[in-house]
Amino acid sequence: MSETTQLRVLDFDCPTCASTVERALGNVEGVEDVEVHYTTGRVEIEFDDGVADRAEFEQTIENQGYTPQPA
Amino acid sequence: MDTQSLKRTYRNHRKAIIVAVSGLLYAGGWSIGHFAGLDTVSAVVLILGAIVGGYDIARTAYHEVKSRTLGIKTLVTLAAVGAIAIGAYWEATAVVFLFALGSYLEGRTMRKTRNALEELLEMTPDTATVRRDGELVEVSAREVEAGEIVIVKPGEKIPVDGDVVDGESAVNQAPVTGESAPVHKADGDEVYAGTINQEGAIEIATTGSGTDTTLQRIIRRVEEAQEAQSQTESIIDRFAKYYTPGVIALSIGAYAVTQNAILSLTLLVIGCPGALVIGPPVSIVSAIGNAARNGVLMKGGEHLEQAGKIDLVAFDKTGTLTKGETTVADVEGFGVKDDEALELAAIAEKKSEHHLADAIVAAAQDRPTTATDGGTAAVQADTEPVSTDARSVPDPDDFDVVAGKGVIAHHEVSGEAGGSSDGSDGGREIVVGNRTLLDERGIDVPDEVADYVREREERGETVVHVVRDEAVIGTIAMRDELREAAPGVIDQLQDAGIETVMLTGDNERVAAAVAEEVGIDEYRAELLPEDKQTVIEEYREEGHVVAMVGDGINDAPSLATADIGIAMGAAGTDTAIETADMALMADDLERIPYAVKLSKATRWNIYENVGLAVLTVTVLLAGVLTSYVTLALGMLVHEASVLAVIGNGMRLLRH
Repeated sequence: MSETTQLRVLDFDCPTCASTVERALGNVEGVEDVEVHYTTGRVEIEFDDGVADRAEFEQTIENQGYTPQPA
Repeated sequence: MDTQSLKRTYRNHRKAIIVAVSGLLYAGGWSIGHFAGLDTVSAVVLILGAIVGGYDIARTAYHEVKSRTLGIKTLVTLAAVGAIAIGAYWEATAVVFLFALGSYLEGRTMRKTRNALEELLEMTPDTATVRRDGELVEVSAREVEAGEIVIVKPGEKIPVDGDVVDGESAVNQAPVTGESAPVHKADGDEVYAGTINQEGAIEIATTGSGTDTTLQRIIRRVEEAQEAQSQTESIIDRFAKYYTPGVIALSIGAYAVTQNAILSLTLLVIGCPGALVIGPPVSIVSAIGNAARNGVLMKGGEHLEQAGKIDLVAFDKTGTLTKGETTVADVEGFGVKDDEALELAAIAEKKSEHHLADAIVAAAQDRPTTATDGGTAAVQADTEPVSTDARSVPDPDDFDVVAGKGVIAHHEVSGEAGGSSDGSDGGREIVVGNRTLLDERGIDVPDEVADYVREREERGETVVHVVRDEAVIGTIAMRDELREAAPGVIDQLQDAGIETVMLTGDNERVAAAVAEEVGIDEYRAELLPEDKQTVIEEYREEGHVVAMVGDGINDAPSLATADIGIAMGAAGTDTAIETADMALMADDLERIPYAVKLSKATRWNIYENVGLAVLTVTVLLAGVLTSYVTLALGMLVHEASVLAVIGNGMRLLRH
């Protein structure tokens, strides 16, 4: 089943950083669509909840050096 | 402090700690080398500083490379590794430290901008007091269901959207509408989640809770607006795509020609157009955030940039410059009693939804009940009603609206001349309308009536004729008071060099009178609803950047035609919020000069930021190529320029 979740990253320090996180999240298996906004720090992920989960997304963001928060 | 809380402190301040440690190692390493001459020790300490400060940067760089993005972190990592490789230790550490410090400060300040809406979010209380099965229970605000009764005591924040069903109070609606003065709320009035109940206890029938409230919708809209890219941003993004690879090519080329490693590494460091890509979004996000807190919703950066170019503001007259509360000022019967003319007009207008119709029907209902049906009693329409019971106005037999001109109806008058008329439906024909409609139907207007109408119109009143069986039997003059703020607002716009125009369906004389009263530059009268669109189109063709101010519902087409459509009093009307480029949550004209000035300031701010960024990059490039700018200095200037544009953009938060 396709599901949408939101996270927030308040410590992006440059627009490219947001794009990098967006690509990394896009590479997570089960992610269908992802948008990361530098200006608001809003992360929106559409994913197959049988394959991926929120914890995985949070881990991916942390791996990139940023702090995910609930939206 | 136990290990747990130490760990937490470290997690929360990780970036600051990294910057501080790397800075200390840098200073220590440099001092050891410079003062003690212990080169090896100095090199070790400096490399340690580069590793501490650079670990996170390198990790992100690794991900950048893996996801095939060419970001600044990759460039900085390359530069630092390259500098260490050629033995330029202090330069490597300086670059890493300065970059880490800059990023930390950028992240921190951007957080402030990103949090601008948080105070709005925090306005909604978590719990609500609900009446369930006759008992008051405290429940989570998001679990309140539509229709449930919520009780809000004085001083409390309202937890849901709903209608007041009991009690009355003054409510501070600033979080939603930006209005500072409290608004009186009584039975039937709409209240919004997040606003503050100031005076009395009220009971509210819930219409929306949780994420389905006006405030939540506003916040979502604002975020969407902040995320939408403006034209300038897209242009810059496209440019940035070529700039970075271009500088890398230049760096390789420079090394091939000069064999100067430091020179090519320095080029790498300035290879990311930092200030250029960061500046415009920060300006726009700050401005949109500021506007939201003042009750103005902007649709996005694109519209904000466009709004900065506005040089003509067109106002719809009714409900925008005026209060939109039309009342009957005078009824004059010609050959019949005043009251009879009013009664007939009310019957004809009863099914119409026009604001003039509402005023006529309301005036007819407010007459004292001493008058009998058929309007035979001699009672002036403007006398005080002796009874509070609204008189019923009979329905017309049929009724047709002639848009922008009036109505034509038929009505069988019981007991009097019934069925004897030659009206097609057996009833008598009643026409209520303006002069155009009468002329079209070949109805003769006596001089006496025309003189009276002219006199009222010169006072800015709208007059309709009441015609029965092709004879004018009366006139009704109606008045819609100007908003107190209107003349001041027009004045402010004119001072800002903006032309002002009033659009109205009223005739020339009424329009001229109102235009003079409000001090507006120009007016266009006798416009049918679709004409307003044409007028806007004409102004645009003349080269104006046109803003149109209206209520967002009736004026939706002309709002859409204008470069910037501004809807007033949009709180609670989702259509207006959806369609307008700018929505004023409150019915407050004063927000228009504010919004126009903010847009202009934003446009300048973006120019300043782009200018500063281009200047920095040019000077840096020139400086590097002529060897005046070293690796560390290049990084320092680069980071300083980024912080400068962020700081400049954030000024708009306090505009």
